[in-house]
Amino acid sequence: MSGAPAPVPGGHAVRTYVDLKSLHRVGARQGFLDYLVSIWRYRHFVLYDSRFRVGSANSQEKLGNAWIILSPLLNGLTFFLIFGLLLNTGKGIENFIGFLIIGVFLFQMSSRAITSGAQAIRGNKTVIQAFNFPRATLLAAINVRELLSNIPVVITMMVMILILPPTEAITWRILLIPPVLALQFFFNLGVGLVLARLVHHFNDLGQLISFAMRLWLYASAVFFSIDRFASVPVIQRIMEVNPLFIVLDITRDSLLYATTPSWESWATLAVWALGAIVVGLVFFWREEEKYGRDS
Amino acid sequence: MDGTADVDIYQDEPAVVIDDVSMTFRTRSTKKGGRLGNSSVDVQALKNVSMVVGRGESVGIMGKNGSGKSTLLKILAGQLPPTSGSVYATSTPILLGVNAALMPELSGDQNIWLGCLAMGMTKKRIRDKYDSIVELSGLGDAIYLPMKSYSSGMGSRLRFAIGAAVNPEILIIDEALNAGDDQFKDKTKKKMHELLGQAGCVFLVSHSIPTITELCNRVIWIDAGEVIRDGPPADVVKWYRMYMKALASGDRLAAAKVRRRIVRDHQRVIIEDRFSGRRKLTS
Repeated sequence: MSGAPAPVPGGHAVRTYVDLKSLHRVGARQGFLDYLVSIWRYRHFVLYDSRFRVGSANSQEKLGNAWIILSPLLNGLTFFLIFGLLLNTGKGIENFIGFLIIGVFLFQMSSRAITSGAQAIRGNKTVIQAFNFPRATLLAAINVRELLSNIPVVITMMVMILILPPTEAITWRILLIPPVLALQFFFNLGVGLVLARLVHHFNDLGQLISFAMRLWLYASAVFFSIDRFASVPVIQRIMEVNPLFIVLDITRDSLLYATTPSWESWATLAVWALGAIVVGLVFFWREEEKYGRDS
Repeated sequence: MDGTADVDIYQDEPAVVIDDVSMTFRTRSTKKGGRLGNSSVDVQALKNVSMVVGRGESVGIMGKNGSGKSTLLKILAGQLPPTSGSVYATSTPILLGVNAALMPELSGDQNIWLGCLAMGMTKKRIRDKYDSIVELSGLGDAIYLPMKSYSSGMGSRLRFAIGAAVNPEILIIDEALNAGDDQFKDKTKKKMHELLGQAGCVFLVSHSIPTITELCNRVIWIDAGEVIRDGPPADVVKWYRMYMKALASGDRLAAAKVRRRIVRDHQRVIIEDRFSGRRKLTS
């Protein structure tokens, strides 16, 4: 007999034979495919939850949802002052303002989605303990919220590129933006799923994420050109397979430089996105039963 | 194995089987030094709890504050995974509690939607049920105000109303009847009876002995994380009163004596799977 019960003082034991056939274990993890199906069944929950999060995320501030656009704008301005004017990292970059705007706006989408995704289990403990639903829906909700709140951000980004000198002409390549954002969405979701499980286990990890994101920011060529590292091919190579760099690169090529992004970039990004979502879902699902536990 | 155990064969189809569930909480104490997770304390909330509950039973759960009742409920509903042991049930039990987390920023109306969606109800079901939820909550126009503006009574009324909307097969109710004023109590009591009629079985936690004797046909008494008595309400309540009286009078010796007698007569259940002939492995 596995794990014999500890002796309980007093009383006498009655060995009770029960038919467990018709019962299932409460809280048992579903099979992976069933899990995916039940995530789909909870899609209305995801949509409702993310809509509410968009609505209330900035409700404490007077300017409310204007901050969705204001904060990357101010971020971009800061980077422009420091890197564009003081350090002049933009030397040799054609249309540095457009380059910087795309970098800052799109990178922030990932960094926000990943950072809040990592806290999904920790920050929603009460909801998790109150209701039974597939926990991955929390991450889906967070990422859908980021996607929704980024629609105005992307529009602002495009408008700025169009009106700020040097202005760029619209080409058919603008149609490449939605697929790039879709791949970015799945990549963010996958990374968020992995981090959410890890942060659930090691709370301390949550503290490290903001540093990791900053490092990632510098490695994604947000405010300088990757050509700076042309003399060190290893670094350049590493940066080129960085999925977030690819997202920025494809977008810049399409919007600024009227260049059709190479199929290698697309393929690499697609592998990253698909890999992240598959690994993320499996990795997250395997701990499904334990997310209700405190720490 | 202890060879002294009696043998019992449970003939009916059980609705819920709790098999040797224990729960230990590890709490980190940040008080000392404030360093990274240095001192931790283990708190054992449940010790080897086992029971078999059949269809049509309404089980009252009694015990002092901190005896492990709420932990047991959360484990029953699958919201908290036990440290060891398992719970088996015909369908996932639904916990109707005053603890259900609703979103304070959202209005009551939005919380109804979110809560019902989180319980897996379809949009159509929610639309059909919406009016009866609002009616049961008795909130009237306050339903459009944010939850954070509600009094605690209003909040628990809304939670009860939302939880009651699912019509579950196995229902767990946590102190719901003690919340709210008399008018609401009548409403909830009516709803409770209705739910009892529909549900396969019901667990009810309450400190109120009249509530338990009125609504339950079996009572389980938990003390310090152990089941110390399991039987018909009249029997358990009798001992419970005697024990509480001894405790209240400050006579700890007498209380301990009563408790020993209660424990001695208690039949501890060890669950065996009838068909595989051996214990079901946990997880």
